[in-house]
Amino acid sequence: MKTIKKIAIAIGAGYTPGINSIIMGAAISAHKAGWEVVGIRDGFEGLLFPEKYPNKGLIDLGPEVIGKLNPMSSDAMGTAASMDPFNVRTINELEMIEEVDMSDTLLENIKKENIDGVIAIMMGRGLSILHKLNAKGLKSVCIPRTVENDMAATPVAFGFNTALSFCVEMLDRAKQAAVSAKKIGVVEVPGSQAGWLALQSGIAVLADAVISPEFPCDVNDLAQNLKSRITPDKPHALVVVAEGSSFVNLPGRTEDTLSDLRKALSPSATEEDSEFTINKSGQAAKTLSYALQQLLADEVYPLVLGPWVRGGNTTAVDRQLGLAYGAASAKALEQNKFGTMATFVPPHIDFVPLIDALNKVRRVENDNGFIKVAHALGIYTGV
Amino acid sequence: MEAQNYLDIKGRVLNIQRYCGEDGPGTRTTVFLKGCSYRCKWCSNPESIKPQPELDFNRKACKGAAACGICLKDPFPQGAFYVLDGDDDKVHANWDLANSCTEELAELCPTGAIGMFGKEMTAGEVLKEVLKDESMYRNTGGGVTISGGECLLQPDFTAAILRGAQESGIHTAIETAGNVPWEFMEKVLKYVDLMQHDNKLMNPDPERHKKWIGVTNKRSLENFKKAYETFPDVEFIARTPLIPGINADEGHIRAVLDFIKPYKNVIDYELLPYHRYGLGKYAYLGKVYELQDYQSPSPELLEHLRSIIDEAFGRKAEAKA
Repeated sequence: MKTIKKIAIAIGAGYTPGINSIIMGAAISAHKAGWEVVGIRDGFEGLLFPEKYPNKGLIDLGPEVIGKLNPMSSDAMGTAASMDPFNVRTINELEMIEEVDMSDTLLENIKKENIDGVIAIMMGRGLSILHKLNAKGLKSVCIPRTVENDMAATPVAFGFNTALSFCVEMLDRAKQAAVSAKKIGVVEVPGSQAGWLALQSGIAVLADAVISPEFPCDVNDLAQNLKSRITPDKPHALVVVAEGSSFVNLPGRTEDTLSDLRKALSPSATEEDSEFTINKSGQAAKTLSYALQQLLADEVYPLVLGPWVRGGNTTAVDRQLGLAYGAASAKALEQNKFGTMATFVPPHIDFVPLIDALNKVRRVENDNGFIKVAHALGIYTGV
Repeated sequence: MEAQNYLDIKGRVLNIQRYCGEDGPGTRTTVFLKGCSYRCKWCSNPESIKPQPELDFNRKACKGAAACGICLKDPFPQGAFYVLDGDDDKVHANWDLANSCTEELAELCPTGAIGMFGKEMTAGEVLKEVLKDESMYRNTGGGVTISGGECLLQPDFTAAILRGAQESGIHTAIETAGNVPWEFMEKVLKYVDLMQHDNKLMNPDPERHKKWIGVTNKRSLENFKKAYETFPDVEFIARTPLIPGINADEGHIRAVLDFIKPYKNVIDYELLPYHRYGLGKYAYLGKVYELQDYQSPSPELLEHLRSIIDEAFGRKAEAKA
């Protein structure tokens, strides 16, 4: 087994605040082992197109650099809009756009730079791409990060606590506005597949109702529940809805049929709204508030936190978690735990095969402790 | 192209659509080909972009893992399809792992939930489909239109279909954005009666075209001019997909008119209002639609911009007279 002398850190697509703390944890631990540490610029772009960057697409992450990093930020290495070396947009010899598989180039350049292992800070599709690279010989350890906390193999992903804290602050403000205006606020928070942010932030601010993707919301039932809560003494309400939530019994919804024009416009045109349409941010709040407005006498208005949740400064919890994930991942490389993903099961950080984390979503079960807490506090969840 | 074998030329076809009323005069058959040389962010036919056949997954059609589950085991790639706990038991696609599925694998799916966008056909096979509606073309003044994607990326195949159609007395048209080597366009235009070409973004800043479409429009514009001059008997219609915030303004319309008006064989300029009907197809391909917040132009704006074109083509004056 080859002894590690040099490792690289790569950050997948998308922004999560405080990634510098992961970089610091990994680098400090690696320096203690006597390794050299570099960062790959803009996802994998630095090593796919080294000629476009200074220092062949790599950033030195030596002790001096690490000592000056701000752990609250994510600015050390840049990110890429897309991080898929199997599908890289290029211009071919006929000056036409073409997507090509450059995974071999990436792996060759990793080898050329004498990089013995990679710590990849990933979420979403990044896990599948890393899995494919591992199958081609990449030696990597993955660190999970997502503000939605929906990655199956770990109960706590990096970034969730920061997002949760921000949501709580914003929901407090939304609640104050609803109280002041005597209206019903419907606030959408991230959560395309799982309702952790909606549920936990909704509990923290004592919302009236929390709607999650796991439990399709019957708007009639929700409207009846809100009616019973709104009294002369409390002429307001706060509903927290995750962006991936679905609704049944929407009033006034008629089935849309394809017109001949639509059919003519493209070979397999589909309706705009469908089960498979990826709805834009804000759609859930808009749909729910419009439906509730038709069923309730009180005024209902939508608010969307959307991309605001993905920025800002990290909380103390995420800073600790980032440093711990980083340090543990360097150790995992030292122990040849390639092809694994870090998982935080308090108080331990463990490593599971990456394949076990693919194609799974960590979802809120109807007997989850947070659901029980919500019910004990009188919060409607639709369960 | 040899006379005896041109109908044997093979190409990659996305779809053949009969009874079309939007792709040229009369009622037409439109042949959509695979592969495109542009990457417009508003594309309503994303399944036409990739030259090769690609996975088409329609979860609605899945019977469920308990009833079927064939895609969850060999010979399908590990992890390509999966079922989520707590969900219904219909399968989901992991697009990064599933996109290596071949046509042979897709055919194993009994419900058609897993399919392929695109298949290989010969020009003769396409022509046979086109000729089914020969009498309709004669009755309506219609014909065949080759569209895409970018039909000029397969110049021999496109030319072969059109040549066969012309030899049968059928009106021929193409829809193109023109971003191909001139030789490709020249080869096809020999068999074309009407070329409908896109002028998507005539902004003087080429970087703006690059930002929204992926490359500049330098070569497209050079090709269009050369085509007007080299093929005086071919009719041309310029077209613009009209997207508020990107190109739905008077400046753009007038820039296109300035470009086409010196040429008498450019017979019209059409505006195609932006629509989002193709949005659901992004999900069938596992792609994300980037223009979520863009809307169709208002009827008032469309009418105003069309009135500028009518005036340029003298139609307003004719109506008044």
